[in-house]
Amino acid sequence: MSTDLSVFERFAVTFQKNDIIFCEYEPGDTFYLIQSGTVEIVRIIGNIEKTIDILHPGEIFGEMAILEEAPRSATAIAHEKVKALEFNRENFEVLMMGNPQIALKLLKLFTKRIYDQKRRFMILTLDDIQARVADVFLMLAETQQNPDPHKDERVFNTSVDDIAHWAGMSPDNCKQVLNHFATQRRIEIYKDKIVVKNINDFARFVNSRRKK
Amino acid sequence: MSPKAVQYKANSIIYFKGDLNDKIFILKSGRVCLKSNDIETGQELQEMIQTGEFFGVKSALGKYPKEETALVLQDSQVVVFTVPEFEQLASQNTRIIMKMLKVFSNQLRRIHKQVQNLLSAEDQGENPETGLFKIGEHYFNVKKFPQALYAFRRYLTYYPSGAYAEAAARNIEQLEMRIQGHPARSTPASTASPVRSRGEELSEAAKKYYNAVSLFSQQKYNNALNEFRNIVTQGADEEYTAKSVYEIGRCLYYLQNYDECIKHFTAMIQKYPKHQELLDALYYLGKCYEKKGEKKRAGSFYNKIMSMGPTDSPVYIKAKKASRNL
Repeated sequence: MSTDLSVFERFAVTFQKNDIIFCEYEPGDTFYLIQSGTVEIVRIIGNIEKTIDILHPGEIFGEMAILEEAPRSATAIAHEKVKALEFNRENFEVLMMGNPQIALKLLKLFTKRIYDQKRRFMILTLDDIQARVADVFLMLAETQQNPDPHKDERVFNTSVDDIAHWAGMSPDNCKQVLNHFATQRRIEIYKDKIVVKNINDFARFVNSRRKK
Repeated sequence: MSPKAVQYKANSIIYFKGDLNDKIFILKSGRVCLKSNDIETGQELQEMIQTGEFFGVKSALGKYPKEETALVLQDSQVVVFTVPEFEQLASQNTRIIMKMLKVFSNQLRRIHKQVQNLLSAEDQGENPETGLFKIGEHYFNVKKFPQALYAFRRYLTYYPSGAYAEAAARNIEQLEMRIQGHPARSTPASTASPVRSRGEELSEAAKKYYNAVSLFSQQKYNNALNEFRNIVTQGADEEYTAKSVYEIGRCLYYLQNYDECIKHFTAMIQKYPKHQELLDALYYLGKCYEKKGEKKRAGSFYNKIMSMGPTDSPVYIKAKKASRNL
């Protein structure tokens, strides 16, 4: 980002390595634009701290806070020394008006979030739990970078917990469905990946289960 | 390269739903309508585009298929932008982006709520109070002490009389011993601790509000009521005063003080006709009348909610159900 951010210096905050920037479940009313350093986004699932994302300079996080003071959905930790601009509803408009590049970035982030949420909604409206799990794979396939369009087989480096989360079911239920698919030879489950043998077969299956 | 003006004949299609079309359009003249299906009901939705209005923005910026079909109703002139052209235009006129940010954030809020409504209570995870405390416990157990300290301190900031307040305070003391070799009772902890303490940034009113909410969730309605009333009396922070006014009504309802609850919410609606929780206030009014056996009056409140609220909002669904059960 080449735009001059020096006028926004008064909104700058610094975090030392391993500092928590905000914590899952705490009410949030600020969001951040990273200027230097990287930020790790984690969630505690079961007893394991899971890295969801690593964010780099120029990226925005915590932006849901400007929508409503909802609890944070994940914890943000400074991965190294981090300098960031801290925004809230009061200074938000000033910042955006003075900096169209950031505003555009936020606009794009919103379009992605809206799409993700709509997609999640589509998954959750399926009554059939097998179809729900299959639809999670379809969603993941849609966001894969440059898949070979001539190949039916797709590989996903996704954990059972993640799939369960997207499908809105418990990991145990999700495991049962996955095992069922495995016995039908529709998928193969490995330690670090799940292979869907024929993604188009899943697409047909999901379509047949979706209410018209 | 610059944006092109394109003519479309009546009844032609600018793009179909599902098209991977990365263009953004402005209607210059004529009539264009967007057709889509409601993701919840499948019902067909139609939206007329105003002259000068952008369309096709979200899917172009988000790089996903178009979500609606753009149908030309009368001969029209449309200006077509590529994404870089749109970005250039928008960065010269930030008001365009601000307007879109508002529209998109409303859409996002709406779909977010719809998703939350579909998730069962357990999928939604812990309530925030328990959740925050458990995060502290997790970091404590895995010996990430500064992180644990942060979570417990935040807990106490928001929920000083919460269900885990004592445990959090005990843990903080232990953690301070471990990190600094002594409990930081006399010195402000934040000076020595690597964790930034931001408790002081939260306004007094906000702290009191979260504390009262915590009391409410522990079903200590009388205590919560007193706290909310204090916030309103002091009136230090407009936002939290308005929020507390609503919560007072809820306390009265749960204390089964229906007459006072009706009086309270009626006054609130007069004072804050655009209150964020207006529809929920109407719902509680309906419930109060229902409890008093005045079904007809209760029904009129439920109908009012259904005439005002978006059909997918939780309060609409509650009102519909209550109205059916009358």
